[in-house]
Amino acid sequence: MRRQLSALAGWAFVATSGAALAHHSFAMFDQENPIELQGVVKEFKFTSPHTFIIIETKQQDGSTQLWSLEGGAPSALVRDGWSSKTLKPGDELQLTIEPLRSGAPGGSWSVGKTKFKDGRPIMVTP
Amino acid sequence: MFYRNSIGPAVLAAVFVAAIADVRAQVEMKYPDWSGQWLRTGGIQWDPTKPLGRGQQAPLTPEYQAIFEASLADQAVGGAGNDARYSCFPVGMPRLMSVIFPMEFILSPKITYVLFENNMPRRIYTDGRSWPSDPEPTFAGYSIGKWIDEDGDSRFDVLEVETRYMKGPRTFEGTGLPLHKDNQTVVKERIHLDKSNADVLHDQITTIDNALILPWTVTKKFRRERKPSWLENDCSEDNHHVAIGKENYFLSADGYLMPTKKGQMPPDLRYFSNR
Repeated sequence: MRRQLSALAGWAFVATSGAALAHHSFAMFDQENPIELQGVVKEFKFTSPHTFIIIETKQQDGSTQLWSLEGGAPSALVRDGWSSKTLKPGDELQLTIEPLRSGAPGGSWSVGKTKFKDGRPIMVTP
Repeated sequence: MFYRNSIGPAVLAAVFVAAIADVRAQVEMKYPDWSGQWLRTGGIQWDPTKPLGRGQQAPLTPEYQAIFEASLADQAVGGAGNDARYSCFPVGMPRLMSVIFPMEFILSPKITYVLFENNMPRRIYTDGRSWPSDPEPTFAGYSIGKWIDEDGDSRFDVLEVETRYMKGPRTFEGTGLPLHKDNQTVVKERIHLDKSNADVLHDQITTIDNALILPWTVTKKFRRERKPSWLENDCSEDNHHVAIGKENYFLSADGYLMPTKKGQMPPDLRYFSNR
């Protein structure tokens, strides 16, 4: 049976995610100035110590850019119902991320701030 | 012939099984049930009752308060400060007991193992040994424990542990809240189940360290998951944070180094002849 993360559960996760789920400081990511990203998943790396979404975004001049986005640890995501198959290449996402302070195309993503481009929440299996 | 030769091994096997059953019975009778998976109930900060960083109000000496302030200032612009954990550097004691990812206890009369999903285990010796004369320091340190039956019911309730001989550098938390570089830290713990809820475990931790003006006591609380799932969490699998000298960089999606701070210089490539 599949379930949808409720808004409450989402917020509960957000409250304990990001830096809180990290085994190290996330100071390199600008948590005070998040940005919006839309793009196509190139790879969902369900790897330790942290998962990564590699996403291709379209820039204003029509060129594309690859972003490397660091998320929670696989074990933490599994306990929240995610798996290595939750996202697949070609999925179109919209995310609110915390970007690298340097301005380079990297940042951190979190479950509660990631959904499909059309607004659908990510479905997870408990 | 086959029958005669098989009697010896069969008797030995029976004795072995009986011995194991005896040890298991001893453990079950005398020792508390700490089985299952233990998850932290607070955040990732050292004192779970206070916010991260300056909010911890750590009793640091002026020298180590200055070191801490420098760490916070570096992190404010995207650096790692004193926290080398981003590069998979071991955390050591006492920070191990923040239990960022779940832990498990394996109890036996002579030793208690504390296993962590993402760190090396702790070994707490309870065989009555004394401190070794000159042990090699380790990040988890050398731990000697003593089981206590506090309520006189012939079952142990509390494991008192003292840990010495740690290696550094170590910090209390990801903000870089430091322990002294002399590594003379002594950590004293009292670990026990909650008296009214057997699915809650307390660890009262007192850290005595030359970076502190007085012993610092905090209490960590963990909740039990009785039907746990365990996953591998090996920091070396795919870490995108790269430490070079005193700088930290981040790997791009296509495998190149990216800066983490504004205006950060690239690494010094002086030994590369073809640049």
